[in-house]
Amino acid sequence: MNLEEIRSRIDKIDRELLVILQERMGLALRSNKFKESISDPEREQRILDKVGRMKLDLIEGSFSKQLLQTIITESKRLQKEARLLVAFQGEHGAYGEVAARRLVPGGAYIPCMEFADVFQGVEEGFLDLGVVPVENSLEGAVTQVNDLLTTTRLKVIGEAKVPVNHCLLATEDTDYREIRMVYSHPQALAQCRGFLTRNKLEPRPFYDTAGAAKMLARENPKAAAAIASALSSKLYNLEIIKEKIEDGPSNSTRFLLLSKEANVSGGNKTSIIFATPHTAGSLYSVLRLFAESNINLTRIASMPLRSEPSNYSFFLDFEGSESDAKIIDVLDRMEKLTISMKNLGSYPADEDPQ
Amino acid sequence: MKNLKLVSREPGKRTTIDIDGVTIGSGLVVIAGPCSVESEDQMLAAAHAVKRAGANMLRGGAFKPRTSPYAFQGLGIQGLRILEKAKKETGLPIVTEVIDPRDVSWIAEFADVLQIGTRNMQNFALLKEVGKSGRPVLLKRGMYSTLSEWLNCAEYILSEGNSKVILCERGIRTFENYTRNTLDLSAVPAIKELTHLPIIIDPTHSTGRLSLIQPMSMAAVAAGCDGLIIEVHAKPEEALCDADQALTPGMFARLMNRVRPLRSFLDGAA
Repeated sequence: MNLEEIRSRIDKIDRELLVILQERMGLALRSNKFKESISDPEREQRILDKVGRMKLDLIEGSFSKQLLQTIITESKRLQKEARLLVAFQGEHGAYGEVAARRLVPGGAYIPCMEFADVFQGVEEGFLDLGVVPVENSLEGAVTQVNDLLTTTRLKVIGEAKVPVNHCLLATEDTDYREIRMVYSHPQALAQCRGFLTRNKLEPRPFYDTAGAAKMLARENPKAAAAIASALSSKLYNLEIIKEKIEDGPSNSTRFLLLSKEANVSGGNKTSIIFATPHTAGSLYSVLRLFAESNINLTRIASMPLRSEPSNYSFFLDFEGSESDAKIIDVLDRMEKLTISMKNLGSYPADEDPQ
Repeated sequence: MKNLKLVSREPGKRTTIDIDGVTIGSGLVVIAGPCSVESEDQMLAAAHAVKRAGANMLRGGAFKPRTSPYAFQGLGIQGLRILEKAKKETGLPIVTEVIDPRDVSWIAEFADVLQIGTRNMQNFALLKEVGKSGRPVLLKRGMYSTLSEWLNCAEYILSEGNSKVILCERGIRTFENYTRNTLDLSAVPAIKELTHLPIIIDPTHSTGRLSLIQPMSMAAVAAGCDGLIIEVHAKPEEALCDADQALTPGMFARLMNRVRPLRSFLDGAA
């Protein structure tokens, strides 16, 4: 090993330390939902005692205690800020976090493994808000999320159309000429196939786009790059080699902001889910109400009901607020024509997908 | 000239190349910008200035072939990202030099035209690589090359299946040392006799003297060139290279006000 190699490994460890610390701070913020008060001196003492007992010959007990004390102090300061906990699916840097940052500036963004974890956390009150993708302009509906929207009781209070901007990312010390392998989610790799072929790069499937960026920052494998959001480059201190490397026209994903409580200030767009009886013209009779009241539909999608696979539920988004007289009237008359109906709520429409 | 199967003139054939909405080979196309990309502010200032004066494309080097290994070598990929931003802001397509075959595919991701500099004219590995890329190529004449040698280099690119080659006369070495090189303007009509490819003139590197750039630009237009490539720097005194031959935005605007009417006049007369 020479000095350059040693320093490169030290840099890698520093990045890793901060990524892990970010994870710890997120967990501390979540713990706040379960505690009576921010400060818990007994728990703090136990933490300090435990690290003091670890016998690491290069890390003196006094140093580790001092380090942990600094971390705990900062963690308590963060908890006092009382930021809203906004859950998204994926690792830090996922497009879900890009949407969450736009919908709720100044929040604490909490990564979740599964969409179900986002829904469950918000329903049970351990997380304040959730951000989930419902549809992508190229790939279509996100069925798992649409399914969860039917089965849970959460309200939609906002939406964000986030343009997908795939970036080729690498660690600072990577020479772009040496890159051979590119890690990312299979869907992102597929959307950038032309770029990868032109530059003779080998696609390596990974569970998540931001996860690939995180892995790069923590492990720094040789000759490797990742495809992820520009946000990931900031969060993991990676260089953007090229932005917008997707082949086709850029696509965008529509995200919904979920809450236990309906949007108090209302909005100009409303989402509902309903199912109709299996009789001729039943869907038509519902849609006719909207046509006759001159209400513009912005999305209509159907999905098989999990409980009865031969029946469908319909997702309808339309312009207007649930407090408008003509919409109250339509929803009222719909009740009699449907076998189930759920109002997800009204929220401000995201007009400008930039 | 023998063995110029693809570049030789065919009756009635004149190649025009569409570069993101700019057509080379019919009107007068002016490419302008600094010698090299030095910083985002410098590049954007130059880009907006040449756009205002009526340039059609933007030049700027991110990889520089310098006489001395200790001279500024360019910003590399970072420079390309700055050029990309300049294009986004001004809409001007990007012309940038490639000096290493390993960089061709990467630079092609950012640039609209790949430039082969005078020192690399006969770098055959590089010529094959830009030929394969399919991107339009601006092939500068080697400073010691005959027209035949130059056209053989263009043949290398065309033989890889890339017919989008723009020739650029940038001066040749003679015994004259008042000017940096000697601008061989006879190359313009000669190239039109010999090939169907468009030819542009570089009055900056051929003369190396600020006072000669505008007169020689007008002479080039009169000779029938398809375009000009000119170095412009928002603050030439601060430039990291070629500081004494870059036009200020004001000088460039005055040049544009002379060459455009001249071209219109010639088009009307023809």
